[in-house]
Amino acid sequence: MTEPDAPTWRVPPRWVLLVAVLSIVAAEVGGGSMARYKVELTRWAREGMLARPGVHGLVGVRDVDERILDEALVKFDAGLRLFHMHAEGMGLVIIATSMVAATVIRHAAARRAIIALLTTGGAGYPVGYLVWSALIPSHGLERAKTLAEWLIWVPFGSATIVALWCLAGTVAWSMLARRRA
Amino acid sequence: MLMSATVRRPPLAVVLVALVILALGETAGAAMSRLKPEIQRYAAARVAANPGAHGFSGSAEYDDEVRERAIFTAEAGLSFFHLHGEGVGLVLFFASALVAALVPGQRARGALYLLLTLGGLFPLGYLAYGAAALELGRDAGIELAERWILSPLGVSAIAGLAGLWLALARRRA
Repeated sequence: MTEPDAPTWRVPPRWVLLVAVLSIVAAEVGGGSMARYKVELTRWAREGMLARPGVHGLVGVRDVDERILDEALVKFDAGLRLFHMHAEGMGLVIIATSMVAATVIRHAAARRAIIALLTTGGAGYPVGYLVWSALIPSHGLERAKTLAEWLIWVPFGSATIVALWCLAGTVAWSMLARRRA
Repeated sequence: MLMSATVRRPPLAVVLVALVILALGETAGAAMSRLKPEIQRYAAARVAANPGAHGFSGSAEYDDEVRERAIFTAEAGLSFFHLHGEGVGLVLFFASALVAALVPGQRARGALYLLLTLGGLFPLGYLAYGAAALELGRDAGIELAERWILSPLGVSAIAGLAGLWLALARRRA
């Protein structure tokens, strides 16, 4: 299929592909579980919130409390949905970007570093949405969000963004170098 | 690391566009999350700077509603940009990888790369959508972005994907 001297892909390390596929599988399982166990998940979250009225600002007045519980349950559900969506997308992002890094970056240490950042960042970031959802019943909306943000979204998201821009810069540099050669 | 001797890759320029769109999409997502108040303040300031475009009447209640709708539209534009940047970046990457690997003929590949790459710029239309809604008024801004940016780039993406489909179908036959 390839013409002589046609540029070809290099395949990224196997562990990277395994992590990416695992992320996609987890997303699919998450999506399926959300649909199949919706009632059980909602009941678990609701019971967790009712067990910690102080954390959620529940006052014992049904009208007020139900509104607070409803808002928290919407966020709990949103976290699960966002995990499903991001894990699917980031699994594909890992495959695409690590393939580019494996093909374009010639310096072995730089290539390994960029691939590691892309893979850990891409696989770790969506887990933040699961953690957010899981922490809502025990820590409340704001505290759960802050914990997920600083423990997962900021470090893993930053890793992905930095690695992606470095990779884009490397590709641009590589194009310029080829033009000059 | 394995060397693939059989799978051709697309030109680096196409790969670069896909990566930049992906990176912009991710960065926009982070900005939406970390800089929400700043973005809302900026949007409110731009609406205030263009009162004629937004049709302010001088009635506080009406003007507040118009301002909120414009800010909401700008935020929606950023959110669509994040979503489409991630999705279309991947579509461009994988579709152009298929073109490189499976479509015979340099001219056909070149035409498909061009169409797909223009289509890959589609998410930028949503940045224009948000910005134009603030500068020109909500309806005029959306109309401008849809007619002059989103529609042509979207058509280009569809034409590129349809061309890829046709090329693959012909190859099988």
